[in-house]
Amino acid sequence: MPLIDMPDFAPMLLEEFAARNTTRVDTPVIQPAEPFLDMAGEDLRRRIFLTENERGASLCLRPEFTIPVCLRHIETATGTPKRYAYLGQVFRQRREGANEFYQAGIEDLGDRDVASADARVVVDALSCLTKVLPNRGLAVTIGDQAVFEAVVAALGLPAGWQKRLVRAFGQTDLLEAMIARLARPQPVSGLSGEVEALLEAGDEAALVVHVEAQMERTGYLTNASRAPVEIVRRLKEKRLLAGASLEPAKLDALKEFLSLNVSLRYAPGVLADFARSAGLPLQAAIAGFDARVAAFANAGASLADITWRAAFGRPLDYYTGLVFEITARGDHDVLAGGGRYDRMLTLLGAKDHIPAVGFALWLDRIEKARETSR
Amino acid sequence: MTITIGLPSKGRMKDDASAIFARAGLVISAIGNERSYRGRVEGADDIEIAFLSASEISREIGNGTVDFGVTGEDLIREELADADRRMEISARLGFGHADVVVAVPDIWLDVESMADLGDVAADFRARHGRRLAIATKYWRLTQQHFSGSHGIQLYRIVESLGATEGAPAAGQADIIVDITSTGSTLVANHLKVLSDGVILKSEACLVRAKKPEHEGNATVARIVEAVRGAL
Repeated sequence: MPLIDMPDFAPMLLEEFAARNTTRVDTPVIQPAEPFLDMAGEDLRRRIFLTENERGASLCLRPEFTIPVCLRHIETATGTPKRYAYLGQVFRQRREGANEFYQAGIEDLGDRDVASADARVVVDALSCLTKVLPNRGLAVTIGDQAVFEAVVAALGLPAGWQKRLVRAFGQTDLLEAMIARLARPQPVSGLSGEVEALLEAGDEAALVVHVEAQMERTGYLTNASRAPVEIVRRLKEKRLLAGASLEPAKLDALKEFLSLNVSLRYAPGVLADFARSAGLPLQAAIAGFDARVAAFANAGASLADITWRAAFGRPLDYYTGLVFEITARGDHDVLAGGGRYDRMLTLLGAKDHIPAVGFALWLDRIEKARETSR
Repeated sequence: MTITIGLPSKGRMKDDASAIFARAGLVISAIGNERSYRGRVEGADDIEIAFLSASEISREIGNGTVDFGVTGEDLIREELADADRRMEISARLGFGHADVVVAVPDIWLDVESMADLGDVAADFRARHGRRLAIATKYWRLTQQHFSGSHGIQLYRIVESLGATEGAPAAGQADIIVDITSTGSTLVANHLKVLSDGVILKSEACLVRAKKPEHEGNATVARIVEAVRGAL
């Protein structure tokens, strides 16, 4: 059956992909639902199309390509580095727009030169968009999970607080609520006298015995869910967290960092100035950031078209570094989105650590943009 | 236009609802025999009663096949996406009180709040090779509370259609989202409600399906006024 609903510019994208040293892959439309729900969380459930097979296994219509492409890579075990390209339909329940639409993109797996792989993938996305939207100016926004993590680490907070802040990265409301809580410490309450005393004495072993005994007495399995030692360790950690607060100067530094929003031309200078004035040791993160900016320039990207927004991130635990979005200048519709997801392949079952970066193009939005620029 | 009211078909909910309607001057009788699923209001030919199960009432309100229904707010909010756009709570009826809560094992000494649970959920996969599992029949309310209100994405729901409070001890799930009226079942199963773990304070409600033809309809206005007056 000819795919007559495929956007007419799709062949142009495939040509671009082919010229960029990629292998075109296709994946089944019907996918096991587990990996998607596991990666993105339960919230995804109401945004995808789920069904069951007769054995009761959850299946879904492919909501995106990155996970299927990665799973396929792990199954076929063809080694890295590898650059995959795809173009096909995806299915999502959306409030606006059709429930089935086309996406195309590149997944770049296994390149250990992070800076150049990051730059290449952004330039690939830009070139594809320029090809199909020749008369439109494009604007790229990038964010960097690694820089935020470095800033949080440099503030000298306990590990538990660092994790909380990192987890909230990209969710403005949540992050602001946490920062507000950091301004005033929260005591741990509701513990029995016995636990309180053991905690005070720092007797971890006795606390573990206490928790174990309580679990056995109440009929809880000690190995099915959280183990006694895990509970005790976190209780101790929480004690530390409760006492932790940020001095006003550091709190201000964190807020100032999150407000940074500058052209990539000036970003290295702005980031260095920030580190200096806030007195934070960010050398390693700055070196990584600067290397990427240099790689962008080397790859022929126009730095003036790229903005770095320090607070831009995605709240999913497999993103590790670069995230980016491309829009037409003066428009909000995201035409391309991508990022580095170094943690995903091991989460999906790969034995080795495989660095990965990629992007997806939204063909329905591109089509709309083509119509308005005509 | 005939106005249809969906009422619970059995149990205490049925009796309590009938009592309030009777006090409101809307005396309900079954059509045909006592077990019939259709009823009428004495002296009001423009009102029809449909006896349905509580969860069906939520669905029929969503479809607009009944104009009013008496059901728990928990069931309405769980069954309907965009509930506030599709229905209006005309009156809270003062019975069937129950809270939908997040409860964790008592022995999780380090977990008192959703923020604590967020910490535990974030590390869960790395420690246990799977996501934190929540046993519940309230998919939508759980997602709204965890993902929407508290930014916790990384958990999995294990559907539980009965004896949910036993799931953590049995190793089927780590925590639960369930309904509780006195809390005694939770205590008996060594579970505790988180400090910010009350998702919804539910009770039986007279619910109206939002329909354009209700605008200015005298029967609709009369029913609402009568029930409110009987509370």
